[in-house]
Parts: sequence; structure tokens; C-alpha cells
Amino acid sequence: MSIDSSTISAVGLHVTGLTVSYNGVPAVRGIDLAVAGGEAVGLIGPNGAGKSSSLLAIMGATARTGAVRINGRDASGLVPEKVVRLGIALVPEGRHVFADLSVKDNLRLGGVARRTKSGAQEAMDKVMDLFPILREFASRPAGLLSGGQQQQLAIGRALMSDPDVLMLDEPSLGLSPTAVDTVFEALAAVRAAGKAVLVVEQRAEFTIAFCDRTYVLHDGVITLSLKPEDAENVQILTEAYFG
Amino acid sequence: MSQFIQSLVDALSAGAVLGLAALAIGLVFGVIRLANFATGEIITGAGYALVLTWDLGWYVAIPLSILVAVILSLLMELAVFSRMRKAGPATLLIASFGVSFLLQRVYELIFGNNVRSAPVASNLSQSVEVAGIRLQLLSVTAIVLSAILLVLLQLFLTRTTLGLQLQAAAADFTTARLVGIPASRVIGLSFVLSGVLAAAVAFVLTTQSGAVGPTFGVRITVLALVGAVIGGIDKISGALAGGFLVGFASSMLETWLPQGVGNFRDAFVYVLVIVVLLLKPSGLLVRGRGAVRT
Repeated sequence: MSIDSSTISAVGLHVTGLTVSYNGVPAVRGIDLAVAGGEAVGLIGPNGAGKSSSLLAIMGATARTGAVRINGRDASGLVPEKVVRLGIALVPEGRHVFADLSVKDNLRLGGVARRTKSGAQEAMDKVMDLFPILREFASRPAGLLSGGQQQQLAIGRALMSDPDVLMLDEPSLGLSPTAVDTVFEALAAVRAAGKAVLVVEQRAEFTIAFCDRTYVLHDGVITLSLKPEDAENVQILTEAYFG
Repeated sequence: MSQFIQSLVDALSAGAVLGLAALAIGLVFGVIRLANFATGEIITGAGYALVLTWDLGWYVAIPLSILVAVILSLLMELAVFSRMRKAGPATLLIASFGVSFLLQRVYELIFGNNVRSAPVASNLSQSVEVAGIRLQLLSVTAIVLSAILLVLLQLFLTRTTLGLQLQAAAADFTTARLVGIPASRVIGLSFVLSGVLAAAVAFVLTTQSGAVGPTFGVRITVLALVGAVIGGIDKISGALAGGFLVGFASSMLETWLPQGVGNFRDAFVYVLVIVVLLLKPSGLLVRGRGAVRT
């Protein structure tokens, strides 16, 4: 399935022919996707479909072939710490906050990849405005936060680098419904601020309704592109997941 | 009572030095999963630098020994370990054995089999009397030196961005890179700090013995590795605490085991280690019991 060229813009993420293999076994088979600034795109599919592999490959954290352009710049052959500096950030599955470090230090580390040296304090203020709980617990070790609070911290840490593209891997995993609402309200604000958002999720209906466009990934291949109005179409969803 | 306090100070000193050696190993392990057995040869190299240049004055010998340790540490990383980034911890450990044995032979070729000696900081071998108790000045110095280094390291790790980056990389290297922390910078930094700590260990050991041979750093490295593992090599603080515990226990056993049994103190230390590992395989300072393979 190829992408619609009208969705490509200078700001955002543009992936073509992305392929990932583990020990010769393909996990992602030549997918194309694009996310423009101010747009949210979902990536759903059954376990093992290649969703997380796609995000890690875009970040340069796993070997891949195909082209990845971030804000119009080629990310081929770059290691993750260089890819981040092109203006993209990933909130990994399981949050992976630095448990022994304070909330504030986690956020400071998120600012390491800022493309401009100034503005780190303003960025931290913005993150704390978006997630006030992080201000309240700024000195607390991240490992002592609840799952929902850690997810807020992981997103805040990613936003500290002021990325144009924000990718999230299963942001609702293991969270209470209230915590999920908090996270997605923040993502809506991030999208409204003109950033491109790419979300990998298991909660299909929720994701389709939230995103401007949702791709269904099945066995490493994008098999369907869905619009928000498809969220309640059970037949389409069933076909997407089970063929 | 006075003998007990003396032995306590000696044990604190031995624990502090072994803690530093374990920390030198733990810092590198945290970042690249390398339990660097060749840390012993960094200690040996720094020891040779001390005894061979002590005549030129401490202000030359000590900085030179630190420089030698840091250069050796970085050379190992650049020449060997940086080429094995995708290897697992077991492969890296074996590679470090190789580097260790190679360097021992190199030292043998350059300096010969016999020890080289010099009166390194010989004034520290005196005793001082504190509140009626005679204490080895070197023991007190080792404790103070370790405390100063630990405070400086703690300040560096918690108050500087570079230190935070190192902590983050030691905790979760993959995520650290995804956040944007440069891998090569933190890896290099861990080897530099490891070298500095190894030089401090070399200073205390060289002052104690006054002589350095090709296998000078081996015994303390084995004990430090063991200490790091029982403390929890995954955590910087775990490695330090484990090293301290092993050094402390070893020194206490040496003092208090009956005559004739004292020679077997290492055996008693390893029994203690086995008991700890059976009860807490993931290390004393790591939460939970850790993964167990059946």
C-alpha cells in the first residue's frame, strides 16, 4: 500500500519501503507511511505485526532498509542519538523512565538532544504545564511514580527535545482509564501545537477515533488505512485483524 | 578493645579500596555490559608508573600513574571492546581475559618477572595514635582517599549533565540513546573514570607493598569482580557496596581467624559469596530476587 503524496510535507515523518528483519526473518516488509505536522497517525495491528519494530527502525535502533526522512532530512545510517537531533522523539513501550533519577533529572536528560542550546528551562516549564503532576513530584525518583505518572514523564521527557515528530509505543498499556484520558488529552494538545504524532496502540477503536488516519499493520505489511469514522465499523476492524 | 578498633579501621580501609576497584568495574559494566577483568592490568600499569617514577617526586609520579591508567583504559576500549559492541556479556568477559593475559605477558617482557620496587609514600607506613589506639596511617589515608573520591564521583554523577547521562546510560543504555545521549561519549567517560579509580587503587596497593610485578592487580580484581556481582553489578551503588563488603569481610577474617586457618581466608570469603548468591542471585542492592534460569 503506497501513501498519498498530498500527505507529505516538509515538517514531519516520511517513510518509504521500510523493511526490518531479525535473523533473516522479516518483521516489517516495505511499509510506507507519512505523518505531517499537526496530524496524528495511528498504527494498529495484532501482536507481532511489526508495529514496535517499525518505530525502533525509524529511530535507527534496529537494522533496516528503506528510506526515512524526518523534516525532509535523510535519516539513513544514523544512530538513534543522531536521529533524535533531526527532530523526532520516541516514547518507548513500557515507558522506560530512569527509575533512580528524579523527575526533573529525567526531563533534563530529555533536553540533551535539543537542537537549540537555549530554551531548556522554558521547555521544562511547558512540559510541567502540560503535566502538572510532574511539577509536584519534580524531586521524587521516577521509579516511585505510578504507571500513569511515569507515562506522563516519558512523554514529557520526549517533548523536552522539542521534536517536530512524536512517536509513542503503546502509551495506554497498563494504565487506568483516567490516566489514559490524561495522556491522550496531552497528545491532542501536542497535535494542536503543530507537531506530527505517530501512535502505536492495541486499543484499535480508540486509536482510529483519535487519529486523523490509522494504518493497520498485519504480518509486517500495511493492509488498510482507516479514517476516524471507521472507528465503530466492526466489520472493517475484523477484516483488518483477521483477514 | 583497642585491637578490635584497629582491625575495624583496617577492614574499613580494605573495604574502601576494594569498593573503589569494584566501582571501576561496575561503571563500565553498567554502560556496555563488560565485566572488565583487565581492570587488574590497568591497576598494574598505574602501579609500575608509580614505582618507576617515584624518584622524580610524588607530584610527577601520581599524575603520571593516573594518566597511564586512563590511557590504558581508553586503549582497551578503542582497540578491543569498541569492536565488539554487538557481543554479549560472556563474549566480552572472555575478551577481557584475553586482554588481561596479553598485558601480563607484555609487562613481563618489558619489566621482567621480578618485582620492581620503590618506597612509594613510605611515610604513610607509620602508625599514628588516636585516643590511645594505634592506627596505620595508610589505612586512614585509604579511607579518606576513598571517601573523597566517592564524594567527588557522587557530585559529578548527580550535579553535572554529563554525570546524569552516565547514570542514565548505566541504568538503561538503549533508552539513553533513544533520548539522545551520545553512546560514544558516555562509554569513553566510563572508561576514563574507571581508569582514575584504578589508579587510586594502585596508589594504595603500591604504598602497602612497595613492589609491583606483572600480576600485581589480579587478586584485587578477582575479589572486586566477586564483590561487584554480590552487590549487584547492574547498579553502580551495588558494585561499590559489594566490593566494600568483600574487602571488609576478607580483612576481618584475616585478623580474627585462628592461627593456621587464616591462610584460608579467601575460601571463607567465597563461602560467604556463595551463600549471598544463593539467597539473592541478582545482588544485595538489586530489588527482587532477579531472573532465575531453570
